[in-house]
Amino acid sequence: MPATDYQASFLGRISIRRNQVIAMDGNHEQELQDLELFSKHVSERFAELLSSPDDIPFHALLSISWLRKLLDFFLCCEAEFKGVLMMGNDPSQISKPPLDRLIPEFLDRSVKALDVCNAVTNGLESVRHYQKLAEIVVSALEQKPIGDGQSRRAKKALTSLMSAMNVDDKECSAAKATERSWSFSRRGVSSKDRVPEHFRSVSNQVAKNWSAAKQIQAMTNNLVPPRGAEGSGLASPVYTMSVIMVFVMWALVAAIPCQERNGLSAIHFPAPKQLNWAQSIIGLHEKIGEEWKKKEKKGTAGLLDEMQKMEKLGNILMDFTDSFQFHGDITDQKAEEAAARSAELAETCRRMEEGLLPLQIQIREVFHRIVKTRTELLNALDQVGKSSSPLL
Amino acid sequence: MDECQSAIPAHDGDLHVVAAAHHIVKALGTTKNLSDDLRKILIDLDAHLSLITSNIDSKGGKGFVEVEERLKRVERKIVIWESDRIMIWDSGPKEASDYLEAVDEVQTLIDSLRGLSMNENQKQKELLHRASSLLQMAMSRLEEELIHMLVKHKQQSEPTYIPSPSSQRNVVYNESVVSLDNESAKEASSKNSCSDECGEYIVDLVPEHVIPDIKSIAKVMFASDYGQEFCEAFIGVRKEALEQHFDILENGKLSIEDLLKMEWCSLSTEMNKWTWSMKIIFGVYLMSEKRLCDQVLGEFGSVNSFCFLEIAKTTILCLLNFGEAIAMGPQEPEKLLRLLDMYETLADLVIDIDALFSEDGGSFVRLEFHKLLEGLADSVKAAFNAFGVAVSSNGSLYPFPGGGVHPLSKYVMNYISMFPEYCSTLNLLLEDQHSDVASLVSEPQCGPTASLSTSCPMACHLRSITSSLESNLHKKSKLYKDEALQHIFLMNNLHYMVQKVKGSELRPFFGDEWIRKHNAKFQQHEMNYERVTWSSVVLLLKDDNPGSSSLSKSAFKEKCKGFSIAFEEVYKNQTSWCIPDPQLREDLRISTSLKVVHAYRTFLGRNPAHVDDKCIKHTVEDVEKLLFDLFEGSPRSLRNSRRMMKT
Repeated sequence: MPATDYQASFLGRISIRRNQVIAMDGNHEQELQDLELFSKHVSERFAELLSSPDDIPFHALLSISWLRKLLDFFLCCEAEFKGVLMMGNDPSQISKPPLDRLIPEFLDRSVKALDVCNAVTNGLESVRHYQKLAEIVVSALEQKPIGDGQSRRAKKALTSLMSAMNVDDKECSAAKATERSWSFSRRGVSSKDRVPEHFRSVSNQVAKNWSAAKQIQAMTNNLVPPRGAEGSGLASPVYTMSVIMVFVMWALVAAIPCQERNGLSAIHFPAPKQLNWAQSIIGLHEKIGEEWKKKEKKGTAGLLDEMQKMEKLGNILMDFTDSFQFHGDITDQKAEEAAARSAELAETCRRMEEGLLPLQIQIREVFHRIVKTRTELLNALDQVGKSSSPLL
Repeated sequence: MDECQSAIPAHDGDLHVVAAAHHIVKALGTTKNLSDDLRKILIDLDAHLSLITSNIDSKGGKGFVEVEERLKRVERKIVIWESDRIMIWDSGPKEASDYLEAVDEVQTLIDSLRGLSMNENQKQKELLHRASSLLQMAMSRLEEELIHMLVKHKQQSEPTYIPSPSSQRNVVYNESVVSLDNESAKEASSKNSCSDECGEYIVDLVPEHVIPDIKSIAKVMFASDYGQEFCEAFIGVRKEALEQHFDILENGKLSIEDLLKMEWCSLSTEMNKWTWSMKIIFGVYLMSEKRLCDQVLGEFGSVNSFCFLEIAKTTILCLLNFGEAIAMGPQEPEKLLRLLDMYETLADLVIDIDALFSEDGGSFVRLEFHKLLEGLADSVKAAFNAFGVAVSSNGSLYPFPGGGVHPLSKYVMNYISMFPEYCSTLNLLLEDQHSDVASLVSEPQCGPTASLSTSCPMACHLRSITSSLESNLHKKSKLYKDEALQHIFLMNNLHYMVQKVKGSELRPFFGDEWIRKHNAKFQQHEMNYERVTWSSVVLLLKDDNPGSSSLSKSAFKEKCKGFSIAFEEVYKNQTSWCIPDPQLREDLRISTSLKVVHAYRTFLGRNPAHVDDKCIKHTVEDVEKLLFDLFEGSPRSLRNSRRMMKT
């Protein structure tokens, strides 16, 4: 289902609900219904994400389009969450226990999420660079017939691509950047296979010691499911939304190159399975966590489906160019295979070309939304504070 | 070359035509004064015609002899550099142009070979592969040359003439609504006005003379379909260079989380750095980068804007995120001026940003900065309101000692005296809140007869702030138990406000009417003080029985004693009071003196018989002199001094 349709229907739902809220005016039963509806929508949305078929590349887990859907759902959940929290309810509730503690914690988490958004936006710049290198590979291998020149050209771009992905993966962008400084004595290497790489410095937008993994870990601080009587009140949507936020940020960091991600898979989500809405999130967390563990051993720039595909195809094509250079020529069968792989790579590049910028813009939208909600909540707290404390 | 394909002769008879054409082309090629383009066309045509001939020949078995010969020649020229440690462009212009010519030749040969139909001719295929390999070798080399060239000249052209922000950094930043002395408030408020110094100027990021070399490489790489490689190399070096410049500006790589927690002092420094960096990065570097891109890539269409965006994006995002972090932070009053700096800087740059990123790909950047500008505008408004709230709600538990000028008055007046520099921005941003405030400040200046400067939104807001300050000062004055001190306090502070308005750019916004009115106010407090303090004292000297000529000795003694005690009491109290303004202090002493000394002298003059040392503790001269000890802020006691004198 395209995201826009979904959003439209969602907005429709929320406006109906708002009318009801006004009509019933703070009725407790209505509040319970709202909460139920909220968690129902959450579980529906994440079930849809979990059931994304892996075999259709366009919708595969952690593909660009999947991430865009994830962010769309995040925005939907967020809007609904704000509705539950602030609409129709007595605004002074947010300053009473347990919300007086939970809301500031939530806001703290939000700020951390903003830094993750920025780190991921920055990481997308690296992905964009991979795309450009892969496009060179495609251009080289598109030529018919493929000769030594084309094969060398492809190999050079592939070498840059693989090492760029590898460098980003090594997570030491800050240290690496200096190592990769341009040297003047490039001519020192005079072998035939001298490969001047397509360098692009890995920009470190954030402090050297900033760690995506630690940031996410910190977001889970104090994140515990509401217990007892709290479970039926507004504490539960705050908790739900927090889990969603942590999960979304965690998934983005797993997918897209980011500074320092060691221990990402070890991050534990305190989401109990008996909570209906949490099941799909837990499922997704386990699935992605497994993937991450697999890749963590040999290193990966990120689990983004397109990038993994790029890596796989890159390896195959690298073998192809190697054997080409070794034998001086190739069999027709091999040439055909290479052409097929190159076409796949071209398709991957095309998907990136189409999807990366919208994804980046969407992350920005998430960023702005989080800021907006934070401001609104702070204002609400401020208002409550003013009206409850006597003026000097 | 596609169109040439159809020109491959079908009949032997056409061979003559081809041969004739070849001759003509060769002849034309020897002509001097040909334009480069025309010469290139002729060379291409020559190559193609000779290929057609050889192709036809090859059917006879002779093969692509000439093509192979040319390829061999050009191969030597290209391969020879592979083992050389020296860069071609460092070796000299001759070497460079020879190399480019050789690459051109390879490209011509490839085009021609491709142009021929590939009828399973093994030789042709082999030659094409050889030529492609050669081309790849050359392209790889050119890429290296390009990177070398860019890096070498990047470092040479380090701009040294851009004024450093350190000249601005000697400023004290920790403003807060409480306890500020005059000087630091003034310093802290000094506007960050480097826009006038640096403005917008374009520098040569790469020396002028290198541009043609870079362009020549671009041309040949794009012509050979290696434009992507060119772009990646170009972007790579330029992006890094920009980031280095950005680092030199000492922008701390701070997360939003850090920024929100930051102490105001450091945050203010960071805000200043941002303002500075925005001006330098956009006004100088990106403008220059854009020109460099235009110079090098101008003729390659959308590649130009793509490269520029790639070069600029990460640095821009960094600046953007800092701005966002500030815009979302709590807007405390002390941030107002720094926020105004940020807002004004961005507002000035927005047109440039729109121009730099006018293409589709850059719409994202344009949009984000417009959003940020709105965010900063809201922040300015919020901080302005917070300032107003802080002025009216600043509370004290204890009276300010001495009744002098309260730090709040100093802070507020010094702070707002910076506002006129931001007049147009504040007028713009405060416009929508204008009507509320204008009605609150029911001064005649806001009426229909008001001049433009006193009725603008900022003027009304300024007067609203000072009127909040006044009411707060009234509140503070009530903390004094002594009514006279209340008046001294108000007199001092109102006088200070008037002086500040009169002696600064604030004057036109307050207007003469305001000054006149406030002069009257503090003078009223001055009079009230005299009345409260001295009326009762002077009353002691009053003749109870105006009919009789003189008092009895005892009555006189009694009155004298009463006066002395009262005077000493006032003296003891009011020497510790404070009137910081010397003129005001002088005026008050004189008018007090006139009243008190005159009454005392008259009193003594009327009873000359009783005047002797024993009853009169203080002579008229004593009193006159002692009055000058008042309001100096150092408590004295007459009893002590008398005792000291005696012993």
